[in-house]
Amino acid sequence: MTVLPIAAVALSYDFDLVAARRRARAVAALLGFDQQHQTRIATVVSELARNALRYAGSGRLELSVELDDKQSLVIEVSDRGPGIANVDEILAGRYRSKSGMGMGLLGAQRLMDEFSLTSRAGEGTTVIVRKRLPSNARRFDEVAVTRLIAELARQRPVDQVDEMQRQNAELLAALADLHERQVELERLNQELEDTNRGVLALYAELDEKAESVRRADELKTRFLADMSHEFRTPVNSILALSRLVEETPLTDEARKQILLIRRSADGLAGLVNDLLDLAKIEAGKVEVRPAELDIANLFSALRGMLRPLLVNRSLALMFDEPEGLPLMFTDEGKLSQILRNFISNALKFTETGEIRVTAELNQRGNAVIFSVADTGIGISVEDQERIFDEFTQVDTPLQGRSKGSGLGLPLTRRLATLLGGFVMVESEPGAGATFRAEVPIVFGDAATMRPMSDGTPASAPAPKIRILIVDDDETARYAMRSFASRPGAEIMDAENGTEGIAKALSEQPNVILLDMMMPGIGGHEVLQRLKSQPETSAIPIILVTSRFINDEEREQVLSRATGVIYKGDLSREVVSRAIDDAIAAT
Amino acid sequence: MERIPILKLGKCLIVSIQVDMDDGTAITLQDDLTEKIVRHRAKGVLIDISALDVVDSFIGRMLANTAAMAHVLDAETVVVGMQPSVAITLVELGLSLKGIRSALNIEKGMELLRGIDDVPELANADEQH
Repeated sequence: MTVLPIAAVALSYDFDLVAARRRARAVAALLGFDQQHQTRIATVVSELARNALRYAGSGRLELSVELDDKQSLVIEVSDRGPGIANVDEILAGRYRSKSGMGMGLLGAQRLMDEFSLTSRAGEGTTVIVRKRLPSNARRFDEVAVTRLIAELARQRPVDQVDEMQRQNAELLAALADLHERQVELERLNQELEDTNRGVLALYAELDEKAESVRRADELKTRFLADMSHEFRTPVNSILALSRLVEETPLTDEARKQILLIRRSADGLAGLVNDLLDLAKIEAGKVEVRPAELDIANLFSALRGMLRPLLVNRSLALMFDEPEGLPLMFTDEGKLSQILRNFISNALKFTETGEIRVTAELNQRGNAVIFSVADTGIGISVEDQERIFDEFTQVDTPLQGRSKGSGLGLPLTRRLATLLGGFVMVESEPGAGATFRAEVPIVFGDAATMRPMSDGTPASAPAPKIRILIVDDDETARYAMRSFASRPGAEIMDAENGTEGIAKALSEQPNVILLDMMMPGIGGHEVLQRLKSQPETSAIPIILVTSRFINDEEREQVLSRATGVIYKGDLSREVVSRAIDDAIAAT
Repeated sequence: MERIPILKLGKCLIVSIQVDMDDGTAITLQDDLTEKIVRHRAKGVLIDISALDVVDSFIGRMLANTAAMAHVLDAETVVVGMQPSVAITLVELGLSLKGIRSALNIEKGMELLRGIDDVPELANADEQH
């Protein structure tokens, strides 16, 4: 059984009823129904379409032709309404409609040949009726039906009202669509607002996190500074004491042991200093002391300093003589520290070949590029970024041979930054590495150049002097007493601030060596009290500290004290020069 | 919304339905007619449906209701020009348009109305919508 669709009409508005009626009549005419049947069919369609419109609000009419032995016109009206509750009653003719005459469905059943009605509560109603084509009608096949449809399209009157109604319907649909979009937009807007609030909350959280990270970083820096300071005190004591012992007559064996102790202590002090340097730079507490510098001199100093480290005969350390390079004005100590770190790093990771140190002008001619190239194991690309981070050590077979703190390269980077330059590395695993530091020829502004104090100590005859040492640390007192001892010197000591002030009053020393950090009354307070008493205000005071003090502090301190000695620098020469300077100043 | 024009001819109202009415138009026509019957004190209403090729149950009911209302308002209603196929279909549908008089065409209809009442001459006819 073949059913071919011919026409369909959507039933949404009142005027669609008229359209459905007309279409049904036109289709009936084309199928060969006579006038009377056309009216019947149109009437039935009108009844069914009205039911769909009235009870379901909308629906759909479909007209098709059934091509079996008895050809039929099939009219199907379906809707998605609430369904019909009392079908039986209606079809039995017992129901009286308020709108029609209760004849719609019943009449349709009477006027057509077949009638079937499906209705489910909540799902809608479908009515299908069939009218057999007149016996004299032609046989329809697919081609004929296609032609019929084309004919139908041609017949369709271009009615202005129809057109307007169509446009009207379109407008209504567009309006509904617009409304829907607006609702959607509002919903989206709401969602965006929510998201925005979420993002703002996240921002606040991030700010908080950043703040806590910053605090943690600050804490780390302070911890580094404090710890390395704490380490320095005992290391300095060991160094000072071993120097003292070296000066005494010793057996060869003992001298050798003392030398070894001092070397170890030196190594430890170096590490601690690196750590402290790093901490100081991080805390912004380091100062650059630029001076005129000849690169050739720098190289020869480095050569002398580092040659002893070459234990391996198959490894050569070469310094290319710098040619055509101007004098630099920068901090020699820091520059030398950078190169030392590069070179000792190269030494660690190169077994055979050479380490070549060169210097050349950069392209703009305002900076010198120092290169340290080795023929060692090289560094993989991913590690090249990492090696300048603190405490990073790349795992290599050679790494085990010489342990480091992992601070050398980070320090070079910070030092180079401090000098206004930068460091970089080029390397391929197995093909050696080249470390470069580009440092400006002139540090900062040349106007900041400071005259260097010539280090000639005052050559005074040894007068009789009385020296008071105030320090809570017994080892430090002992070391200072030893370094300060000289012909004609009388040395007293005090183990805390109170005792120091009392002795200064009673003994009236020529000079006081005062430790800054003491329990109870600290060095600062002792200094202030001594300077505020007329009896002691004239006594020169040399401050001894193991803590790094910055420029501001130094100026503040030097307004009252005569000089400052770092405990790490303690040696006979340093102490005696400070004492000489202090006495000369009075 | 389309409106079907209503003509006044003496004491008669004449309506000629020339368009395929949807239900809204039919209701409006019914309201307009009753309102004009009262306003013009019409005695007769003539409805020409010769142009309608479909009269379904709703329009049938509308015609019957209009006739009933006109009767209450002291006017007689004549429906004229019904097509044979429409008449057959109406009967088949089971609709009997009780209370409606019918005539073959407008002439016969007017005659019918004249017979019912003293309908004046056509001379003072005017047109109203």
